[in-house]
Amino acid sequence: MSRILVVEDEQHIADGLRFNLEAEGHDVTVAPDGEQALASILDDRRAYDVIVLDVMLPGRDGFAVASTLRAAGQFVPILMLTARGRPEDVLQGFEAGADDYLPKPFELAILFARINGLLRRRLWNEAQTSGNHTTTADTYTFAGRTLDFTAMEVHARGTSYRLTRMECELLRYLVTHPRQPVSRGTLLENVWGLHEETDTRAIDNFIVRLRKYLEDQPDSPRFLQTVRGVGYKFAPEGK
Amino acid sequence: MTRRQKAIAFFVALCVLLVAGAISLNVGWIVITAEGASLRVLIFGIITFGLIIAGLIIYTVFLVLEIRRNEEHDTFINAVTHELKTPIASIRLYLETLQSRTLSDEQRREFYDVMLADADRLHRTVDQVLKAGAASQKPKVIARAPVDIGLLTQECVDLALQRHHLQASAIVVESHDDGPLMVRGDADELRSVLTNLLDNAVKYSSESVRVIVGVAAPSPDTVWVRVQDRGVGIPRKQLKRIFRRFYRVQTRGLKQVKGTGLGLYIVRSIARAHGGRVFAQSEGEGRGATFTLELPRLAS
Repeated sequence: MSRILVVEDEQHIADGLRFNLEAEGHDVTVAPDGEQALASILDDRRAYDVIVLDVMLPGRDGFAVASTLRAAGQFVPILMLTARGRPEDVLQGFEAGADDYLPKPFELAILFARINGLLRRRLWNEAQTSGNHTTTADTYTFAGRTLDFTAMEVHARGTSYRLTRMECELLRYLVTHPRQPVSRGTLLENVWGLHEETDTRAIDNFIVRLRKYLEDQPDSPRFLQTVRGVGYKFAPEGK
Repeated sequence: MTRRQKAIAFFVALCVLLVAGAISLNVGWIVITAEGASLRVLIFGIITFGLIIAGLIIYTVFLVLEIRRNEEHDTFINAVTHELKTPIASIRLYLETLQSRTLSDEQRREFYDVMLADADRLHRTVDQVLKAGAASQKPKVIARAPVDIGLLTQECVDLALQRHHLQASAIVVESHDDGPLMVRGDADELRSVLTNLLDNAVKYSSESVRVIVGVAAPSPDTVWVRVQDRGVGIPRKQLKRIFRRFYRVQTRGLKQVKGTGLGLYIVRSIARAHGGRVFAQSEGEGRGATFTLELPRLAS
């Protein structure tokens, strides 16, 4: 049984979700706004396996809730469920630290599949960390830094950092194309699966975060280099 | 700073620079032509530069207003998207639930009620958008027939109580006159005015809803319907603006109340089409608000 927090101010949708998720055998808590959700997670230290988060909430919106959680070091999987489905909204959601994004109206089966995907990922992670890495772990090592794509972690400079799914995917793409400049458009297409003309600057924020994990001096990066006028380049041997 | 605020700052700065340039040219012109040249040339130059400065300022003001309007439009699109998609998502969710799960008769009935309420909500939003569209068309033809405004108010209050699941004491109607107060107009349109005002009073009330509705004749040829709430109130500066299309009240303490920003715009245009007006009063934030609909009285 998994504990799911549904943050939704629309009474009807919250009730419908609770009914269906409980019928699927989950333990469901509903928070009607962002403050109560944050209070439940950060102050009461209640552990949830997945958070289903609406964006247009009274007071603090879903984007703010997600980034507050991430800033506080809470890495519980977040599925954003919202009426705002434009590409820039989706990107903003991932930037805020969401792991998945589903626009309303949604199909119940798809919602279940996505929630189960997030739960499964969590289980696999736990199996990985407890199971002594017997399987061939999906890792990559360079310059004393280890990227663990299965556990979604970075080990660098004696510290470990948890990655969100999109940070992980972005890093994986860069690492599999070393020493070649990659444009922001290419990244958006291959990592996010977006083909529309969007504000590709959104990627810059991800790079800034990744540099904080990997670089000794994030302001003068050696491994994740900016290629002026093009995009980025991953250089495993440094500059 | 958002992209729009940056754009506004940029254009204002550009305007200031250009105006400063024009002023220094103007001063230069005066200095140069004051020695020797004729008075006519001097005055011609001063007026020309003055016109350029005025033009620049007007241009910038319009540009900034247009950027602001664009922003209001965007928030409107967001709000309408939300107001349309939420009930659809809810209806879909319940239909799928009914389709895929075995339910008791009681649950089934409960779900049907939820879906009906959502369909009504969807209908109200669509109606509001269409009404606002109709209101911005100029020539307004309304069916005119005698309407008993007191009766109509009571009817709208009853409906509002029912729709918001409120006790009868939450919205009280006070009638001051004995005889019926008649106006000439379209009962459907007036009903949507009163419904809008009542819905707002309920929506913007804090925890407990206390609304007083007064129907009165302040003078022999006018009729007032006042809707007074004890809700979040309206800052003085925004009392007029709230009737503009897409405008949503902005106060720091206010939690985001959902809506399209069209309601009061529709209210105002219907009031005007009836030869009347509507205005808001408020003691300020947290002190409630009073909306007054004033219509010409029909001698009975």
